[in-house]
Amino acid sequence: MIAAYLRSMARRFLRRTQTEREVEEELRSHMELRADALERAGLERAEAERRARIEFGSHVRFKEECREAMGGNAIDQAIQDVRFSLRALRKSPGFSLVAVITLALGIGATVATFSVVNTVLLRPFAFSHPEKLLWIYSQRSDNPRTNFSLPEYCDYRDQATSFEGLAGVASFNPSFSDSGPPERVQGVRMSASAFAMLAVRPLLGRALIAEDDRNGARGVALISYGLWSRRYARDPAVIGRPVNLDGQSREIVGVLPPGFALPNLDTEIVVPLQPDADPRRNVRNSVNFLRMVGRLRPNVTTQQAHAELEAIRQNLHRQYPGIYTGKIGITLVPLTEEIVANIKAVLLTIFCAAGAVLLVSCVNLAGISLSRAAARHRELAVRTALGATRSQLTRLLLTESFILALVGGSLGMLLEVWGQRALLRLVPSDLPRIENFSIDWTVLLFAGALIFVAALACGLTPAWLLSRSDLRDALVSSSRGSTGGALQSRLRTWLVSGQIALALVLLANAGLLLRSFVRLSSEQPGFDSNNVQTIRFSLPQTGYDDVATIARFYDQLHSRATTINGIKSDALVSILPLAPKSISFVHFTRPDRPPARPEDTPSTNYRIVTPDYFRTMGIPLLDGRNFTESDEAEHPPVAIVSTNLARTHFPDRSAIGQRILVDDTDGDPRSIEIVGTVGPVKQTNLETPAKADIYLPLRQMPKDGVPWLRNSAYWVVKTSGGTMGVERLLRDTIQNVDRNVAVGAVRPMTESVAATLAARRFSLLLVGSFAAAALFLAAAGLYGVISYGIQQRNREIGVRLALGATRATILGMIFKEGAVLLAGGIIAGFAIALVLAKLVASQMYGVNEHDPFSFAVVGLILTVISLVACGIAARRAMNIDPIVALRCE
Amino acid sequence: MSEEAELLPGTLDLLILKAVSLGPLHGYAVLSRIEQISGQRLLVEQGALYPALFRLVRQGLLKTEWGKSENNRRAKFYELTAKGRKRLQEETDWWKRASAAVTAALAARPQRA
Repeated sequence: MIAAYLRSMARRFLRRTQTEREVEEELRSHMELRADALERAGLERAEAERRARIEFGSHVRFKEECREAMGGNAIDQAIQDVRFSLRALRKSPGFSLVAVITLALGIGATVATFSVVNTVLLRPFAFSHPEKLLWIYSQRSDNPRTNFSLPEYCDYRDQATSFEGLAGVASFNPSFSDSGPPERVQGVRMSASAFAMLAVRPLLGRALIAEDDRNGARGVALISYGLWSRRYARDPAVIGRPVNLDGQSREIVGVLPPGFALPNLDTEIVVPLQPDADPRRNVRNSVNFLRMVGRLRPNVTTQQAHAELEAIRQNLHRQYPGIYTGKIGITLVPLTEEIVANIKAVLLTIFCAAGAVLLVSCVNLAGISLSRAAARHRELAVRTALGATRSQLTRLLLTESFILALVGGSLGMLLEVWGQRALLRLVPSDLPRIENFSIDWTVLLFAGALIFVAALACGLTPAWLLSRSDLRDALVSSSRGSTGGALQSRLRTWLVSGQIALALVLLANAGLLLRSFVRLSSEQPGFDSNNVQTIRFSLPQTGYDDVATIARFYDQLHSRATTINGIKSDALVSILPLAPKSISFVHFTRPDRPPARPEDTPSTNYRIVTPDYFRTMGIPLLDGRNFTESDEAEHPPVAIVSTNLARTHFPDRSAIGQRILVDDTDGDPRSIEIVGTVGPVKQTNLETPAKADIYLPLRQMPKDGVPWLRNSAYWVVKTSGGTMGVERLLRDTIQNVDRNVAVGAVRPMTESVAATLAARRFSLLLVGSFAAAALFLAAAGLYGVISYGIQQRNREIGVRLALGATRATILGMIFKEGAVLLAGGIIAGFAIALVLAKLVASQMYGVNEHDPFSFAVVGLILTVISLVACGIAARRAMNIDPIVALRCE
Repeated sequence: MSEEAELLPGTLDLLILKAVSLGPLHGYAVLSRIEQISGQRLLVEQGALYPALFRLVRQGLLKTEWGKSENNRRAKFYELTAKGRKRLQEETDWWKRASAAVTAALAARPQRA
């Protein structure tokens, strides 16, 4: 289609030169015929030709008229417009440069952030119609998203009719080994039928099929695109290879497509759930380890589905009284939302900020072109007098702004491509899907649309003004460069105030983000991350079947660590603070105060540690004693709790020596004595206040926890500083104890802390720079208007000076003008910022979104910068010599 | 007042159509023909002729063809189309009515009431 259009355009273009030649030839033939006639009348040939030419008149002018009479060709006109515009722009290089740079910044910033938004939020997921896919969670009083048990899943699966299918999904983080070194991978156990429901096609091999779920089926697995690239260098021959997952041999039958995000992008391995083979299949009171994902049938709404699931839940509740207490509802979450939920608000804020910068750029340019249009009033008037129609002039102005926008936009795109790397370095590494970042057609289309809109925004104002003004006035009026009337100056005032308002909104947002960031960075996490290295590992499936073997592994590790110079202390912990996506909590009760209802049973974070954990992490022991080597299976079970747990549940007495019933086994809750209290620790992130923690010594861990700890534990090491070679050293130390241990990456604890701030740092940095850009543009706009005003009033100022006004009075006059613009902008800006505040409220931490301090400071900054801009402009007025000013006109 | 009358606006098109209606003509011949049929009383400015010709072509009233002039020069010939013929008829009728009306008006004598 495009090709056909281009061809027709080319044809028209060619025809254009052809008709031109024809006209030329026809006029020439006319003159020759006339000369013939004159020759017949008796003139010499040369004289006849001369006469013919004279009689004919201006050759060029008629050719022009003929062309017009034949009907102008659009391309022709456009070319002429462009030629005209370029000439006009070349005549004012300063304006053109400012305009291009302004637009390049605005368009570049907006396109850059859009490309990130596009990658993360807009690109399609690996599932078809992902909007129909829902996560289904069991809701508890203290947590809206908890898991179901296997029998529950089977009930919902068999009874629910709102869904095309319901798949059970359980996390599965096995130790993965083949011929290479073992490694821990993240993945899921999933109903094999789910693949058909999700409509995921494997990149290679086959998806899971219903047979894979059958009792006694051969063990199979699918690996992610990432794992395939990392571990197998994208070798297609990987299909059919055996791998060992947690000691069980499975065959790789397929490779997942890139972008497979279930439950998130970290999934590297998928194996069938095989619910019927599971011993928990019919045990009603078994462990909750599943969540469900379902695809809504066409024409079924989320509300309807929710109502149906809720009905099933209540039925189960009645059918099995006492078993599902605590499960008080069903939570439905759109699948895609879960993948990008955390980052959505941040990205949209940044995107809006970039859009605001572009808006300021456009407004700024509109202001400048307005001033320029005023200065060109006379030129335009002359053009009209020479026969230019109003529509031609409007076209001229629009063409100019289109050229500027095009050049500026292209420059902006260049900036974007060039600055992409820098941008990606800033992006928090846990930003989902960012690894697929690229500039695609959507981005290019978006950029094109921006350029178009920017051109209209900049070009339409002066064009509109032109349509309202009487150009003849400009010719008649003797004063050079009339101010173009009240309308224009009012418009200019509005534009500048608008810029100031926008800049203030951005600044206020940046200020609030900054304050939140500072507050959050100074938050005490409850531990000391300095010189702490952490390393996650999984023990092999065989040889670690009980608590004693795991304890022995640690003992060997510990004794090696003590011989290493530079390691001050080391410990094991089941889950590290701030570890992403890991949770473990347990219900407990105080024996003398049982909860009124079963669902009111309190819960707490649950951690298995070795005695040196608190020392290594710098978590203060505030009361009682630490764990010792003698807290082992033979001795009565003990626990250390955080002070907030102690305070909440033992407000009447010291918690030390008290007993609590902890429900951490498949059997009945066991009675554990509290022997110490430690400071609270922020386990999830820095924003969330510390919850209650309970720590149990490794040697007293219940047997049920062995597979769990074997799958994932952290070794934390306090060093005396210096990170050179630490990684190698720690890895080797572990593998020297047992070479089959799957060792994850060594990560300094400081990095984990920084990672929780990464998204905020990113948005702060970007919104901050956008705010700075907007501030600069607004100040430039103010400067432009003030200095233009001074230039226009040169004569007036000259007269005032001649009549005895002091420079101070003149300065006062100028500043007053600036102050009015500024005040208008600031008031409007505050109003907008206050209205928009609730949109950014979710990103605030420890700061009210209407924080008066932040607002006052940014208002002050804006005022000072604006007044400086005013002052620079006013310098020009100070240099006016009354004599020169009066004489020059 | 000179013998040569200035053209009334809008009459050039009519005259061109009339001139061409008698047979295909090239531009210069159109000019001569107009002078001839108006008895040398109407003169057309040479350069003004061509914009008018092109305009008529664009309106589809004339069609063109390159050919040889009587003294063997290459020239573009204009010919009336069916649409042009119809237009000529209409314009002629209109002109007759209008000029009759104007003539009648100018012939009026003062009358006493």
